Amino acid sequence: MNILSIHRVNKSFEAIHAVRDLSFDVEKGQTFGLLGPNGAGKTTTIRMVMQILLPDSGDIQIFGKKLEPALTDRIGYLPEERGLYRKMKVLDAVAFFGELKGMPRTRALEESRRWLKKLDLTEWTDRKLEELSKGMQQKVQFICTVLHGPELLVLDEPFSGLDPVNVNMLKDVMLELKQDGATIIFSTHQMEQVERLCDAICLIHRGENVLSGSLSAVKGKFGKNRIQMRYDGAATFLKDRNLVSGFDDYGKYVEIRPAANATPQEILKRAVRDVNVTHFEIAEPSLNEIFIQLVQPKGGKP
Amino acid sequence: MNKSLILIKRECLTRVRTKGFLIGTLLAPVLMLLMTVLPGLLMNVVSEGEQTIAVVDLTGRLMPALETYVSDTKKDVQGKPLYKLVPAESNPRVLDTTKIHLNRQVRQGRLNVFLVLPGDIFETNRFELYAKNTGNFQVNESLNDMVSAVVSKIRLSESGLDPELVKRLNKRVRASTFKIGENGAKEESGELTFALNYMLGLFIYMALIFYGMFVMRGVIEDKSSRVIEILLSSARPRQIMTGKIFGIGLAGLIQIGVWGLCIILLTTYGLVMAKQFSPAAQNLPIPSISVWVVLSFILFFILGYFIYAAVYAAMGSIGNSESDMQNLQWPAMAPILMSFFLMFAIQKNPDGPLATVLSLIPLFSPILMFTRISAHAVPLWQVLLCIGLCLLAIAGLIWISARIFRIGILMVGKRPTLPEALKWIRKT
Repeated sequence: MNILSIHRVNKSFEAIHAVRDLSFDVEKGQTFGLLGPNGAGKTTTIRMVMQILLPDSGDIQIFGKKLEPALTDRIGYLPEERGLYRKMKVLDAVAFFGELKGMPRTRALEESRRWLKKLDLTEWTDRKLEELSKGMQQKVQFICTVLHGPELLVLDEPFSGLDPVNVNMLKDVMLELKQDGATIIFSTHQMEQVERLCDAICLIHRGENVLSGSLSAVKGKFGKNRIQMRYDGAATFLKDRNLVSGFDDYGKYVEIRPAANATPQEILKRAVRDVNVTHFEIAEPSLNEIFIQLVQPKGGKP
Repeated sequence: MNKSLILIKRECLTRVRTKGFLIGTLLAPVLMLLMTVLPGLLMNVVSEGEQTIAVVDLTGRLMPALETYVSDTKKDVQGKPLYKLVPAESNPRVLDTTKIHLNRQVRQGRLNVFLVLPGDIFETNRFELYAKNTGNFQVNESLNDMVSAVVSKIRLSESGLDPELVKRLNKRVRASTFKIGENGAKEESGELTFALNYMLGLFIYMALIFYGMFVMRGVIEDKSSRVIEILLSSARPRQIMTGKIFGIGLAGLIQIGVWGLCIILLTTYGLVMAKQFSPAAQNLPIPSISVWVVLSFILFFILGYFIYAAVYAAMGSIGNSESDMQNLQWPAMAPILMSFFLMFAIQKNPDGPLATVLSLIPLFSPILMFTRISAHAVPLWQVLLCIGLCLLAIAGLIWISARIFRIGILMVGKRPTLPEALKWIRKT
C-alpha cells in the first residue's frame, strides 16, 4: 500500500517553477530518501505534503486519502529550519506540540517524560529551551516530531548540524520507529546515509523527478562497472584515456569509470606498476557518483 | 481539546507567567495611587509655613489695604495665612540701600519675596517683585492678583464708587450644565464629563496600540524563531491566528481587569476620603458615569481590540524581524490616531451626519462610537448596527490576516511591499 502518492504536482512562486510535474510513491514501512541539490524543490515538496503550501496542480494522497487537515495529526514533521519557543520550559513545550497533534494532556506529559529520559534530557525537563545547547535543542525538536507516535515521519535534512554521536542516536531511533511500523521520508544530500538507510529514493533536480525507485533498482540501472581502489603513490595511469574514461580521486582512494574497451584486469595490471594497491573492488556506482552525474550541468567535469 | 483552545491557552499562559506581566499589572495601580495622592501631599509639604514678604510701599497708602486683603483671602486649607507681610523702609531717597538690604535678607532666607510698589503705580500699572525663584508662577500670580485687586479697590473708592457694589455688579455669570438623557435632565459638570470621556477615549487609544503591538510582536517572533513551520504542520492558519489574538487578548483583559478594579476602588475610596476631610468636596459635582457608558466602554474596547489585533497580526505576518515592526506598525496605527483626533471634532457635534457616518466605520468605531455614546444618547439602532458591522469586520479581518499569514509566514528574506501583500489575499 502506498502511504504517500504524489502525482504530477506543480508549484510555482512568481517566476520560479519550484516543482515541475513531480510524481513518486512511498510504500508503507519504507525508509525513503528524497535527494537533490540545494534549491531542487525538496522542501517545497515536503511543505506541500504537510499542507503548509498548496500545489498549483496535481494530486497528493496520504494514507490513501486526499489531503485534509485532520491527516497531519498522523504525521510527524521535522522542518529544515529548526525553531522552538525559546522562553518555554522543555516539558511544557514538548507536551504543547503533542497536544496540538491531538494527544490528551496527561498522555502528552507522560510521553514527553518518557522520550526526554530516552534521549538523556531528563535533568533538563524544567529548564527553559534557551538554556539548552544547540544539540540538545535539536534532540528536543526531534521529540516534538515523534511524540504522538506518527505513522509517517517526514524529516527535512534531519542530520544537518548534528555531531556524530547525535547522528548515531538519531539513526538508531529512526530504525526503532521503522521496526515499529512507521514509514520514514527524509530529505538529505548526504549520500552515505541514504545508501545505508534507504529502501527507495527519489532524486529531484530543478523540480523534476530525474531518478526514482528502490535503491537496488536505481543502482542496477547504472550497471556494475565501477572500480573502487585504495592505493599509495602517484596514480599517473588515471590519465590514460585508453583505460580510464572518468574518475573521482581522493588521493588515497579513487572511483574509476573504465574506458569502453578496458577490462578491470588491464586496469589493475597497469595500476600496480604505478602505485601500491591496498584494495581493489568491482562495484556498482556509488549513489554519490550517480547524484553528481545526473545533477552536474552538461559539459562539466567528468 | 480543540486546537484553537490549546493555542489560546499557550499564548495566554506564556504571557501571564512572565515577570514583566506581573510587574506591569501590579505596578501600574501603585503608580496610579502615587499619581493621585502625591500631588496633594506635595502641595501640602510645599505650602507648609507662610511666606514672608517685605513690601516697599512708595505710595504710602497701599500697605493697610494689602494687610486686610491677605488676612481676608490668602489662607490655606486649614485657615492659616499664606503670607506674612512686613513693611520695609519706604523712603524713595534711600530706595537703593533698602533694596540692597532686602536683597541680602532674601539671600539669607529671612525673606521669601520683596515687593517694590512705586509711587506712580496707579498710572503705570507696574510694580517690582524680587525673589530667589521668580519661576514659581503660582506665587507670582497670587501676588499679582493681590496687588492688582488692592490697587483697583483704591481706585474705585477714590473715584467715589462703592467697591462692594461694583464687585456685585461685575459678578461673572456661569452656566450650570445639564445632560439630557433617556431619563430626563441631570445636572453635571460639563468640563468633568469632557475630561472623563477624553480619558476613557485616550485609554482605548493607548490600549489598542499597546496590545496591538503585542500581537504583532508575537506573530513576528514565531516567524523569526521558525516555530511557525511546526505550528502550520499541526494547525490551520486561522486556528493559529485565533490562538494568537484571543490568547493575548485574554492576558490583556486579565491585566486591564486588575487595573479597572484598582481604579474603581481608588476613586470610590478617594471620594469618600475627600468628602470627610474637605467640606468643599461635598459640593463637587461628581461626573455621573452611567452604567451604559461603562458597558459601552467595555464593549467597544473589546471590539476595538479584536479589530486592531487582526490588523496588527496581518502586518506582523508581512514582517520578518523585530526591526520591521517600526515600519509595519504605521498602517495599523494610522486609523487609531485618526479616530483619536476625530474624537474632538465629534465631541462638539456628536449628532451630526459626519459623526454618525464616521462612527459606523469599524476601524473608527471603537473610539468614535464610544465617544458619541458617552457624550450623547445615540439611537439604539445605530449602536446595534455598529456592533454588527464591527463583528463582520473582525471576522473579515481575521480571515484576511490568516491569508496573509499563510503566505507571508514562510517568506524569509525580502520583506514584501504592501501591494504584494494585497495580492496574496486574492490568491493562495
